[in-house]
Amino acid sequence: MINTLWKALGILILVYAMTMTMLVPLGPGLLEFQDVNRVIPSILEDRSVPEFQVIGFGTHWNQQPDSLQVFVQSKGQLAALEVIRVDDATHATVGLTLPYSLPAKSWNVLINHPIDGTLLLENGLFLSDRFIDAKATWPAPSFVEHTSQLGFHFPYQPRIVETIRNLMLHVPLWFTMFLLMGIGFVASIKQLSNPRDQLNDDRAVASVQVGIWFGILGLLTGSLWARFTWGAWWVDDPQLNGALVSVLVYSGYLVLRQAVDDERLRARLAAVYNLFAFVILVILLMVLPRFSESLHPGKGGNPGFNSYDLDSALRAVFYPAVIGWMLLGTWMYLVTLRMKRVNRQIELLP
Amino acid sequence: MRQHTPWSRYRFLTAHAFRMEWREKHGLAGLFLFALASVYACYQVAGGRASSETWNALAWVVLMFSAFNAVAKPWPEDSDAMRQYLKTTLRPSEWILARMTFYATVLSILSVLIFLSFTVFLGSVHFNASQGLAFLLGLECTAIAFAALLSVLSAIASRAGAGFGLTAVLGLPLIIPIILISTRYGTDILKGILWIDTAHHLLFLGALTGGIGALGFILFPYLWRD
Repeated sequence: MINTLWKALGILILVYAMTMTMLVPLGPGLLEFQDVNRVIPSILEDRSVPEFQVIGFGTHWNQQPDSLQVFVQSKGQLAALEVIRVDDATHATVGLTLPYSLPAKSWNVLINHPIDGTLLLENGLFLSDRFIDAKATWPAPSFVEHTSQLGFHFPYQPRIVETIRNLMLHVPLWFTMFLLMGIGFVASIKQLSNPRDQLNDDRAVASVQVGIWFGILGLLTGSLWARFTWGAWWVDDPQLNGALVSVLVYSGYLVLRQAVDDERLRARLAAVYNLFAFVILVILLMVLPRFSESLHPGKGGNPGFNSYDLDSALRAVFYPAVIGWMLLGTWMYLVTLRMKRVNRQIELLP
Repeated sequence: MRQHTPWSRYRFLTAHAFRMEWREKHGLAGLFLFALASVYACYQVAGGRASSETWNALAWVVLMFSAFNAVAKPWPEDSDAMRQYLKTTLRPSEWILARMTFYATVLSILSVLIFLSFTVFLGSVHFNASQGLAFLLGLECTAIAFAALLSVLSAIASRAGAGFGLTAVLGLPLIIPIILISTRYGTDILKGILWIDTAHHLLFLGALTGGIGALGFILFPYLWRD
């Protein structure tokens, strides 16, 4: 009973997570704060109001266009911009009426809208050196942070945008690979301490066989993500190298098994190699990337999907996805293991 | 009658490995010839004016393949009959330690040779004396790491009866973490980064060597069992 239940539960959770992954809409965000006529260098000369175009992603500015507020903000200074017109849902034109000199070069753009909430574009406005005066101040406008009125949605992330859905595939697939290789590691230790028991050898090889597939899927989804965010299918990065090498190391495990005929000896040699492989896996994926520069999130001082990136909507799908993939991986492992046991019994038949 | 301790047996085994190797001089000579010929092939490929990146990359690749070549030679002690006999007289952990020491020494000498022949053929324009010494230190640490890993892997391969091909198949992926650290260290040195700022790579290498060595030390007895 319980044996059927957890499998059904795993599939249900996975179906839920994957459906949500594909169907939940992405929240609004800011794409660009565009200097339409490239007027910034001439602000000083004619004192006219330069126009800028704000481009949003999935915003609703055509509804309630009068409530749109645009600010720029830097180093605790905040200035309101005049909204000249709202072109459509994602385009608006604003006038930059800033004082003669400004305290900073780089400004964040903030937009308030009753439906979308407060949106932020980091370093959206960049000024040249000659506008800088560290002491410049002006009266602060009243700014109230708006919360979004939209329903359940994934957060907008610059550069990641829609591919944020890959989070529910790429990360859980690697987690599952780790889980399976961990099972193999424990099985190999047991195999060495109790060489008469063939079950542990079967466990080790079954977990590695299934784990390699999860590793390959992890590589493929990672490659897709790399193409979108970094512009190449593969980049020279410690985390990526480690991932590829660990899959190769485990392929070596299967090659080693093919090379030995005697069953007892094969079990022992494979177990010794598997312990090496797991230690190398941990070093490659958990230790080395943390000490070198890496583009990969969460490594080399590069912020990942940590507490402030994983909002409640992502959590509501990500955690079930992790559990679902892990349960599916475990099920696949158990089926592979049973196949091996059955084949062993068949070979023993007269 | 002399008392035999693990330490004395270890010393004897190490000395024995060197003695056996010295008796058949063609083994060592072949190893050094392979390294020299590789360096000369690199010189022909990259030319005398290799950039520092090429210099760095070729040096590590030559060391890596020389290391694989060093462990390729089968040992008479690896035969089943010899193992059966040795099991009654000594412990496998002493045996693997002796072999690691032997390989570490051979590969250290080999890395000095590779470094010198690289400076002769591919030039030493990319570094001054202290940088050269730092690079050589990196080569030595890497050689010892290779020795720790490859002596266990060649033991697995010879026990599997599959010979050198299997050592290469198992060894190449496992050796990549070591090579990754080493090349980073070498790049930093040749870029002119202060030794103290990149010395943490050597610490990693040391930790990795210690970990692999300890794992091999613990696991090797299982390879000897029947």
